[in-house]
Amino acid sequence: MSFHKDHWLLFSVTCFGFVGLSLIIGILPAKWVQDNAVPLPGMQPLTALEKQGLGVYVGEGCVACHTQQVRPLEMDAAFGRPSVPGDYAYVTPLGPWAPYAPAVLGSQRTGPDLTNAGRRQPSEVWQYLHLYDPRAVVPDSVMPAYPWLFDVVASAPEGATVVPVPAPYAPAEGVVVPNERGEALVAYLLSLKQAPLEAGDEHATAAGGSAANGADGLGAHAGGTR
Amino acid sequence: MAHGTPVLSLKRPLTVSKARVEPVADSDRAWARLVYAYAASAATWLVFGTLVGLYISFKFAAPDIEHVPWLSYGRLRPVHTNSVFWGWGTLALLAGALYVVPRTSHRRLHSYGLAWVSLGLIDLAVVVGDVLLMAGINNGGQEYREFVWPVQAVFAAGVVLLAYNLARTIAGRGIEEIYISNWYIMGGFLWTIPLVVFAYLPFYQQNAIAETVVQGYYMHMGVGMWFTPIALGLTYYSLPKLLNKPIYSYSLGVLAFWTQMLFYTMIGAHHFIFAPTPWWIQTVAVIFSVGMVITLAAGTGNFLLTMRGSGRAIARSYSLPFILAGTVSYFLFSAQGSLEALRSLQGVWHFTNYTVGHSHLTMYGFVTLLVWGSLYGLLPRLTGREPPQLWVGVHFWFAVVGLALYGGALSVGGTLQGLSWMSGVPFIESVKQMASFWLWRAVGGTLMFLSHLVFAYNVWRMRPAAVAAGEARADVALEEAAA
Ligand code: HEM
Ligand code: HEM
Repeated sequence: MSFHKDHWLLFSVTCFGFVGLSLIIGILPAKWVQDNAVPLPGMQPLTALEKQGLGVYVGEGCVACHTQQVRPLEMDAAFGRPSVPGDYAYVTPLGPWAPYAPAVLGSQRTGPDLTNAGRRQPSEVWQYLHLYDPRAVVPDSVMPAYPWLFDVVASAPEGATVVPVPAPYAPAEGVVVPNERGEALVAYLLSLKQAPLEAGDEHATAAGGSAANGADGLGAHAGGTR
Repeated sequence: MAHGTPVLSLKRPLTVSKARVEPVADSDRAWARLVYAYAASAATWLVFGTLVGLYISFKFAAPDIEHVPWLSYGRLRPVHTNSVFWGWGTLALLAGALYVVPRTSHRRLHSYGLAWVSLGLIDLAVVVGDVLLMAGINNGGQEYREFVWPVQAVFAAGVVLLAYNLARTIAGRGIEEIYISNWYIMGGFLWTIPLVVFAYLPFYQQNAIAETVVQGYYMHMGVGMWFTPIALGLTYYSLPKLLNKPIYSYSLGVLAFWTQMLFYTMIGAHHFIFAPTPWWIQTVAVIFSVGMVITLAAGTGNFLLTMRGSGRAIARSYSLPFILAGTVSYFLFSAQGSLEALRSLQGVWHFTNYTVGHSHLTMYGFVTLLVWGSLYGLLPRLTGREPPQLWVGVHFWFAVVGLALYGGALSVGGTLQGLSWMSGVPFIESVKQMASFWLWRAVGGTLMFLSHLVFAYNVWRMRPAAVAAGEARADVALEEAAA
C-alpha cells in the first residue's frame, strides 16, 4: 500500500483528513459559538421592519465596505466598546434563500464601522439624506448613492417624511420621500446601538481582559467566548 | 522564427523570437475541443469579470457616474469576485486539469460527455448567480459564497461530476505511479467539495458570530484548497515539460502536499483576528500561518531549483516567463500573508486596502499568471495552433506592470490608511488620503484589463485547427502525426 500507487488510499486520506480538520477548526467551533452567544440583558430583537432593513443592507452589499465589529484595540475605541458574541445573537437568517445568518461583521473598512451607527447619527433625516446622496452631507464620501430607496413625488403623502435634499442634489421637480425599503433600511441603521455590558457580567470581564491583552495575543479569550 | 510575419521580422526585431512548441502528436479532436471550450469560457469570464472590476475601481473616483441599482458598487463587487473565482480561475484551472490528468495517466479522459455537462453546469451557475447578485439577491453577503444555495448547488454538481470523471481517469491509468500533479489536482477537488458542503449547510450558522467562524474557514480554504493546489498541480506538469527535464525533487512536492492540507486548513480564522470569535482558533491560525512558510519554501524551492540553469530556455519560451513570475509571486505574497497574520501587523493592515492588494498579488500574481503559463504552454500542443508571440509578450508585460501598479498602490495606500486610523484623526481623512492610490489602482487595472483582451485574442488564435476552413494543412499535419 502506497500513496503513490493506491489511488483510493490517496484520495480517501486526502478527503477525510481534510474533513476531520474542518470539523475541529471550523464546524465544531461554529456550533459551539452559536450555542454560547446569548443576547445581552439590554438587547431587543430586531423588529419586523428592522429585519427587513437588514435584508436591504445585505442585498445592496453594504458589508463590502462596512464592518460591524469593534476590536479590542485603541484605534477602534471611537466606534464603541469591543464587540462580544452576544452582540450578534439576534442577527439570524433572512429566509429560505439564505438560511444562514447574514455576514454583518465584514472584513473591510472602506467606510467607517457601523456597530453604533444609530447612536452616532440618531437623526432619521440625516440617515435619509446620506442614503439619497452621501455627498450632500459628507462632501468627500465615496459611498454610492441609493436613490432607488426613495420616491420623487409631486407632494408628500400624509405622514411621510420629506427628505430635505439641498438644491444641487435635489430632483428638478417634486419632493423626495423614502419608499418602503428606504424606511426599513433606516430603521435598521438606527437600531445599531451596542447594548451596555452590565458590571459583573461575565462578558464584560472577558472583553475587558482581551482589550488589555489583545494586541500582544496574551488575552485568554476574546470577547468572552468560553 | 523560420518565417517572419510583417511585425516580427529579422529586420525589425521588436521582440526576440521565442521557441515554438514541438510538433503536435495528438489526434484526439474531441479532446482538443473540450479543453479549448473550457479555456475559451474561462477567457470570456476573465474579460467580463475584470471589466466589472475595472468599472468598480473607477467608482472610487466617480461615485456618481450613474445611479442604476443593478450597477451599484455593493452589488457589482461580488459579481467581480465570483466571476473571476468561479468563472475565470476555476474554468482555466480545469482546462489545464483536463489536459494534464489524461496525459500523466497515459489514457483518454474517462468521459468527454460528462466533462461537457460539467462545463455547462458551471457556466450556468455563474451566469445565474451573477444576475441574481445584480438584482440584489444573495446568500447573506458573505465573501465568495454570495451565490444563493440553489445556484451553488448547480456549480457543485458540475465540480462533483468532474471530480468523478478525473478520478476514474486516474484510477484507470496506464502506469503504476500517480504523478504528483494528480495529487494536487485531485486534492483540490477532494478538499473543495467538502468545503462547499460545509459552507452551505445551515445548522451551525444561525447567528452572525457562528457564521463568521465558518466564513473565515471558508474564505481561506476557497483560495487555499481550490485555486492553490490545482495551480501548483498544473505547474508540476508544465514546468518540467516545457523545460524538458524532470522536476527537481518529487519528495519535496509530496511534503508540500501534505503540509498544505495540514497547515492551510487551520488558518482560516486569521481573517477575523481580534473579532469576538474564539481566541484559540485565532491563535491556531496565526501559528499555522507562520508554519505555511515550510509549504511555501518546499513548493517554490522545488520550482526554482527545477528552473535553475535554464535561464536561456525560459527567455526563449513565451510561456515559461509567466510560470517564473507566478512562482516568485507565490512565494513572496503568500509569505506576505504569513506576516499579515501576525497580530501586531494585523493591527495596522486589517480592514485596509492592504488586504485587497494581497488578494490580487496572490490570486492574480500567483494563480492567474501560473494558469496563463500553463495554457500558453499546453494548448498549442493540443490544438496545433500557436498564439502570436508578439501579443503574448504584450499580454505578459501589460499584466505584470499593471499588477505591480495595482499592488504597489494599495500596499502603500493601505499602510497609510491603517496608520491614519491609529493616529485618531477623523475617519474621512483616510478616505481622502486614499484618493490618489485608488487612481493608481485604476491605472494599473486598466493595463491589466487590456492584457486580458489580448489574452482573449490569443486564445482565439489557439483555437483547434479543425475549426477554421482553409487550414487544411495544419489538419494534415495533425493527421500525419497521429498516424
Ligand atoms: C502562506 C500563505 C498565506 C497566508 C498565511 C495568508 C494570510 C492572509 C491573511 C492574514 C489575510 C487576511 C488579511 C486581513 O483581512 O487583514 C489574507 C487575505 C487574503 N488572502 Fe491570503 N495568505 C496566504 C496565501 C494566499 C494565497 C495563496 C492566496 C490566493 C490564492 C490568498 C488570497 C487571499 C485573499 C483573496 C484574501 C482576502 C480575503 C478577503 O478578505 O476577502 N492568500 N491572507
Ligand atoms: C483588471 C483587473 C482587476 C481590477 C481592476 C480589479 C479591481 C477590483 C476592485 C476595485 C475590487 C474591490 C476592492 C475593494 O473592495 O476595495 C476587487 C476585489 C477583489 N478582486 Fe479584483 N480586480 C481585477 C482583477 C482580479 C482578478 C483577475 C482576480 C482573481 C483572479 C481578482 C480578485 C479579487 C478579489 C479576491 C477581491 C476581493 C478583495 C478582498 O476582499 O480583499 N481581481 N478587485
